[in-house]
Amino acid sequence: MELVKRVEEALYQVIDPELGINIVDLGLVYDIHVSQNNDVHVKMTLTTPGCPLHDSIVGGAETMIYGIDEVNDVKVDLVWHPAWSPDKMSAHAKQMLM
Amino acid sequence: MIPALNQPAANQKTETNIKLPLSFIMFGLGSFVISQIILFLNSDSLTNGVFRMPDIWMAAHFLLLGWAVMVVMGAMYQLVPVAFLTAIWNETFGFVQFFLTAAGVLFLSLSLSFFPAYAMIGGGLAVLGVIMFLFQMLMTLTRQKQKNIMSWFVGSALISLLLTIIAGFGLTWSMKYGFSYHNHLLQTHLLFGLTGWFTLLIFGFSYKMVPMFSLSHGFEMKWAKKAFVTYCGGLVLLLVSVWLEMPAGLISAWGLMFAGFTFFVLDMKEILQKRIKKKLDRPFLFSLIAIGFGWLLHFAAFGLSLFQVEDSRIWSWGIYLYIMIWIIFSIMGYLYKIVPFLWWTHKYSGHVGKKDVPVLKDMIQEKWGSTLFISLTIGVLGLTSASLLHVPALVWGFQGIISVTSLCYVSSIIRVLTR
Repeated sequence: MELVKRVEEALYQVIDPELGINIVDLGLVYDIHVSQNNDVHVKMTLTTPGCPLHDSIVGGAETMIYGIDEVNDVKVDLVWHPAWSPDKMSAHAKQMLM
Repeated sequence: MIPALNQPAANQKTETNIKLPLSFIMFGLGSFVISQIILFLNSDSLTNGVFRMPDIWMAAHFLLLGWAVMVVMGAMYQLVPVAFLTAIWNETFGFVQFFLTAAGVLFLSLSLSFFPAYAMIGGGLAVLGVIMFLFQMLMTLTRQKQKNIMSWFVGSALISLLLTIIAGFGLTWSMKYGFSYHNHLLQTHLLFGLTGWFTLLIFGFSYKMVPMFSLSHGFEMKWAKKAFVTYCGGLVLLLVSVWLEMPAGLISAWGLMFAGFTFFVLDMKEILQKRIKKKLDRPFLFSLIAIGFGWLLHFAAFGLSLFQVEDSRIWSWGIYLYIMIWIIFSIMGYLYKIVPFLWWTHKYSGHVGKKDVPVLKDMIQEKWGSTLFISLTIGVLGLTSASLLHVPALVWGFQGIISVTSLCYVSSIIRVLTR
């Protein structure tokens, strides 16, 4: 399986503990880039700036990606632009919040 | 000009050493139980609506300083870095501040009943502790690059806290040496403490916590500036009217404060209408119900001043309800969210992705929380009615319900720390 896909699958395991929904379904992961020497660069956001779970979620994402054997280095960047919006959530996530 | 909420820098560490906020919160929980037990043992005074009694002062200071102020300080050590994305200036200074304030509050509360002539010593220590807290917050908040509407609410609340303590210090001075403006000082102390410090602080943090806990998106906060200016304007006018003894000013002041509260409610309503999380957590719902109670109490105060009701029993019970069903209920609801956040971050933050970690909902007993909150509402409203109707047995019974519920609430919060 392509490494980008495996990284995405790993990020499905990172759960926002307040909402109980993984960060991919929440639409928090904007971009996954893998370089030629398998360095992984993830661009992601949070539902609100100043979220108290900031460190936990970013740290959890890094840990999960480092758990993939082929991965060399990991960098997770938090960005606020574009801002997160509910339309980035999957149908599954929306259903869970109903 | 008051700027709106803006966005902080990304990739910024904000965590506070959990022992700091938790020390304040644990002291607060203990004080809460003690205050309710003292009130239970003084049911007679409550029945007669006699609040200016040494034991009632002791209970009031355990309740407001020991519980509410200490818990709020602890919560601020946690929430300020979250809301303003600035780390606490000096945590060691924070621990010293905790010990001094705790000692001061304990000594002041006990001395009001047992050795009033020495109340100034405890009062002095408490003042020192609060000034240290204010200095800590000043140093922390001045690091915030761009001020927003929350900065204005929280900043004004902190200034009010300073003025509350100064007025309180003046009160203990007047108890010892006698001072002709004792009643003016008491009213100033109450107004700065209850409306300036607590209400403005709850307004400010609600603008962050309500959208965060309801996952609201696309709201405008268009009433926030009006709420701030109108409410603060009303508070200033109220104080001027108290000192210059102008009854007409009191009506306009309460009217302005009611209008300010209404603007805040309009913003909260819009935030909730635009929420994505349809099913809200029950303890959080309780904080929202407290906003409704607070709005009704401001309306009642406006109505009482309009019809020039001066019955001290009615105003005393109004103040009691203001403290319990607006301030304390708000704090209790938010604490049910904040303590699991704190403990989860401390215990599981480093384990995300390494092993199965619980979600926050697993750490609290939501149903039990609802039962406690409903029981407390019944207790407080029942106690007020029974006292106003002069039914001693019911006063005793309802205060008993509040005391037992307080114990259960404290144990349910401590239970989170065993998860």
